Amino acid sequence: MDTDERASMPTRKQDTAEEPLDSSRRARVALATLRVGVGLMWVQNAGWKRPPHFGADGDPVSGLRKFTGYAVEHPVFPPYAWVVDNVVLPHFTIFGWLVLLAEASIGAFLLVGLGTRLWAVIGLLQSLAITLSVLNAPHEWHWSYFLMLLAHGALWATAAGRAFGLDGALRPHWRRSPGRLAAILMRLS
Amino acid sequence: MSREPLDRAAVGLGAAGVIAVIMVLTNGDPWQLVRVGPVASILTVVLGGVAIAGGRLGRPPLILAAGAGYLGAALLQLVQFGRSSNWVGGDGSTFSFFLGLGVGLIVVATTRSSITEHVPNQP
Repeated sequence: MDTDERASMPTRKQDTAEEPLDSSRRARVALATLRVGVGLMWVQNAGWKRPPHFGADGDPVSGLRKFTGYAVEHPVFPPYAWVVDNVVLPHFTIFGWLVLLAEASIGAFLLVGLGTRLWAVIGLLQSLAITLSVLNAPHEWHWSYFLMLLAHGALWATAAGRAFGLDGALRPHWRRSPGRLAAILMRLS
Repeated sequence: MSREPLDRAAVGLGAAGVIAVIMVLTNGDPWQLVRVGPVASILTVVLGGVAIAGGRLGRPPLILAAGAGYLGAALLQLVQFGRSSNWVGGDGSTFSFFLGLGVGLIVVATTRSSITEHVPNQP
């Protein structure tokens, strides 16, 4: 092998370098579609969390109260079941409002792509709570919950709000702003 | 710094609000993504139109007004959700949808207002 041939061969570093992710318009449209789709899932499901009782006033219980009770009736992770039984269910109205506000906010901000990384993480944590509540309940398809977790992970990892979301339009302004708030928003988007 | 992306964002959010009126035609799962009753449908079309006009004309006050309208409707929906006096006629999905449009448009309008367009020096 002569010197010229050696020079044209890729080095070991080049061999192991990671390929850049696809940033084509097609990929950005697909990512925005995922973000909006996941956002609409939360938006739609905020509709059946009905205050003020959230399903706790009927016999049998229904709605959010019924699904929360599955964490105790069909436990997935015993410490989580204990927390639900001893902390959540005795204060169910407060819990119901927190769930409604959290899920409505996740849907709202994933839909418009504002602070997407933050809301993807909150969505992932809420998906985990739902998984720990209903995974072992009858007639549940476990991959529904695994896919929710994976989808939020993808939205976080790709900072999906930068593709056709408000994060994409606002980040250039936040980047040039001197304030601490702008720096925080840069991290959350 | 260009104002154009923010104006386009306002138009996009307004268009989303107008398009949501299609939900009037749906009934229940799986296609009724947002519950849009008669009052909510009028609200979302009017406010969406104002946001589109604000973006097209480059008028932050219009964008801000549309955002404040959506946010006000979202808060009214939250307070009245589950009660007999539900003026907006929606539910948690309506609250969520209006919340996203309201906060989004307000952030766009306030950011848009803070930008001073670069004007080249006259000779």
